[in-house]
Amino acid sequence: MPFVSKIRRQTDYNSFPSSIPIVIDNGASYFRIGWAGETEPRVVFRNIVQRPRHKATGETVTIVGDQDPALMKYFDCTRSGPRSAFDSNVVYQFELMEYILDFAFDRLGANGSVINHPILITECVCNPVQSRSKMAELLFETYGVPAVAFGVDAAFSYKYNQLHGICKKDGIVLCPGFTTAHAIPFVDGEPVYKGSCRTNIGGYHVTEYLKQLLSLKYPFHSSRFTWEKAEELKLEHCYIAPDYAIEVRKFKEGTKEAEEKTRYWQLPWIPPPVEIPPSEEEIARKAAIREKQGQRLREMAEAKRSSKINEMENELQSLRFLVKQLDKVEEDDIPSFLSDTGYASRQELESTVSKVTQSLRKARGEPKEEPDESEENAESLAEKYPLMNVPDNMLTPEQLKDKRRQVFLKTTTEGRLRARQKRNEEELEKERRNQLEEERRRENPEFYLEEMRAQYKEVLERVEQKKRLKTNGSSTNGNNKSGGGVGRGERLSAAQRERMRLLTTAAFDRGKGEDTFGSRDEDWQLYKLMSKDHDEDDERPDSDEAMLARLSSRLQEIDPTFVLKAEGESGQASGEVPRARPLTEEDYKIVIGIERFRCPEILFHPNLVGIDQLGLDEMGGASIRRLPHGDDKELEERLTSSILMTGGCSLVPGMKERLESGIRMIRPCGSTIHVVRAMDPVLDAWRGASAFAADLNFLRNAFTKMDYYEKGEDWLRKYQIRFNNL
Amino acid sequence: MEGELLEADIVLASDLSFKKIQSHEKYPKGQSRGRWKHLKQILQAENFHDYPPEEPNYMNIESPPSTQPCKRICDITGYEAPYVDPRTNLRYANAEVFKTVRSLSSEQVHQYLSIRNAAVVLK
Repeated sequence: MPFVSKIRRQTDYNSFPSSIPIVIDNGASYFRIGWAGETEPRVVFRNIVQRPRHKATGETVTIVGDQDPALMKYFDCTRSGPRSAFDSNVVYQFELMEYILDFAFDRLGANGSVINHPILITECVCNPVQSRSKMAELLFETYGVPAVAFGVDAAFSYKYNQLHGICKKDGIVLCPGFTTAHAIPFVDGEPVYKGSCRTNIGGYHVTEYLKQLLSLKYPFHSSRFTWEKAEELKLEHCYIAPDYAIEVRKFKEGTKEAEEKTRYWQLPWIPPPVEIPPSEEEIARKAAIREKQGQRLREMAEAKRSSKINEMENELQSLRFLVKQLDKVEEDDIPSFLSDTGYASRQELESTVSKVTQSLRKARGEPKEEPDESEENAESLAEKYPLMNVPDNMLTPEQLKDKRRQVFLKTTTEGRLRARQKRNEEELEKERRNQLEEERRRENPEFYLEEMRAQYKEVLERVEQKKRLKTNGSSTNGNNKSGGGVGRGERLSAAQRERMRLLTTAAFDRGKGEDTFGSRDEDWQLYKLMSKDHDEDDERPDSDEAMLARLSSRLQEIDPTFVLKAEGESGQASGEVPRARPLTEEDYKIVIGIERFRCPEILFHPNLVGIDQLGLDEMGGASIRRLPHGDDKELEERLTSSILMTGGCSLVPGMKERLESGIRMIRPCGSTIHVVRAMDPVLDAWRGASAFAADLNFLRNAFTKMDYYEKGEDWLRKYQIRFNNL
Repeated sequence: MEGELLEADIVLASDLSFKKIQSHEKYPKGQSRGRWKHLKQILQAENFHDYPPEEPNYMNIESPPSTQPCKRICDITGYEAPYVDPRTNLRYANAEVFKTVRSLSSEQVHQYLSIRNAAVVLK
């Protein structure tokens, strides 16, 4: 593992005289600090800061670098994730940078009143002068550093490897780093920044890509794919395919080679406890209990019914008795006789009797005595409507009236008949359609199911879309709670839009001048229109909704896994593994196949993650083209025969071969192309800087606080260390 | 502070002898805004167009768009993708993948698109 933090506090700070520079490789991913002339940095840590709250005391504390996650339990990290001072390799958050430097100097063992050593610190190629001056200011003003020098990490790495004979004095350094990739050509051992180029892609993007792909592939486990885990997976498994298309074809065809290249990551999985099905005895017992309860209910209902019948019989008897007595009473005495019983007349009493009789019959479950509507046929027609076919002039006025009534009756019964027929036909039609579908299903059940599902989804989406449009466009931002204020950026619902349109037409149609609204009666119709809500649309059955209902009922019939989506929760349930089937160990296995080389591929095709810039191999060519060398073919040859790759990403296996073949494609036929990997792509930058700072002439390249304030910004912008006048 | 924490020594001390100004003096509590600029703001303030064009600077060393034909790969599987789904704009390799494409929720589609910076962001 190349990335290891070293954060033990050093004890020998005071044994270094103040003339010995401190060397800092301030990379976007790792921070390394140590003494000039040594081969290893003393302190190395991830270049991040966290500022969580200490739970016990409540104060905000600063934690720099990667720390033991077990210790983070004492802190409340909900509001502060790890943060970096960098954006695309440029330091922009100097508060964070200060915490990082504090930590670094502290761990180096500094204990004087100032940092009394010159400092060499790395920065990115062509660092914006603002960032550079802020850094210089921070070092001078806060730490009291006597002198500062800035250099480029990739250049130091190249020089260090040149020193060890890995590459020549003319060449190109390709440095795919953490957030950016750089190419810098070297001529006569001096970097030519005019010819450099930068693509904003690096190891960070590779890790992020891997993380996103995996969490989309396994939405159920997405919480497992933290950034750190993805980084670990990347370092362990990613490689660069010699040719993406060929490699991917192997996986597509499922060859043996691809199988061997696929890696599996088994997440811890505990089989769910198996539910023991209830025994026969228990089932029988439960059924008996249910039966008993049912029996009791039935008995209760029966008792209730018989008591009701009894009651009614009693009532009927008393009523009949009353009627009998009524027969005996004189005609004139009836009202006085009835006044006690609460009935007004004989008719009322009789109607009550018949009503009670009928309800009694109903309660006993006897059939109703109703004239059953028999089917009218042609013969009975003539009987029923005898006046139908008789001409009007042969009838008396009385009969004419009767005839009109008969005609009316006839048409209504006929209409009823027609309606019934139509209903029957429709049912038949439906039956036929169902049969057709059934046949289709039988032919190819899988395909049919698939089709149904797709159709269902489509319609569901459409209906939901419509609903969303209708209710409110801006329901997501929660601004419409008060119902009032519709702001500029928010979208209106259909009803709101309509209202707005009406208001504006009312306001502008009358032209300028005095307000005449309300003088005409039609004006007030406007309010009626306005208050008409979108609800009325719902009254007429939507064809889509009907279709949806039909599809869902059909799917429920034939698809056991189909779950009817409750309203308003569509989409949310997507991240869940379907619950219908019990989870198995297989569900907890993460397969990393194509991702192994798909992720690093973005270094060569930044397009894949939407960055429209040159890939790593093309950068070499672009860098040569940018170099002001007057078409010197020999120089070009020399450059391509000494290409050094350094930076964290050059550790990915297969990088060298891919770079060679990629650069060969863009260079003229027959040119020598030689790519070498730096001895240690991660640490060589620091080592090169250390060697540079150890030279006695180092201070000529550094500047003091006085220089900084006297020479001004323009000078600082052009400031550049020279390697050759050492 | 807990003994375990003190032993691990992970919390940065608030006062350090080698500093001329302590950070809590420099960055008083509760005033966290406006202390730094975003990279974009830094670059805007730089006035790159005033600099001589032959001089390399942060803006002009940026690499141009690629001249190679744009590689299109399936958003889901990573295979070469000859097809694009017109509804979701996702690229897909074959009919089988297309089925998965259509079974994705709109949120997932959005995530897939945003990976390659192609998602439509409604404001």
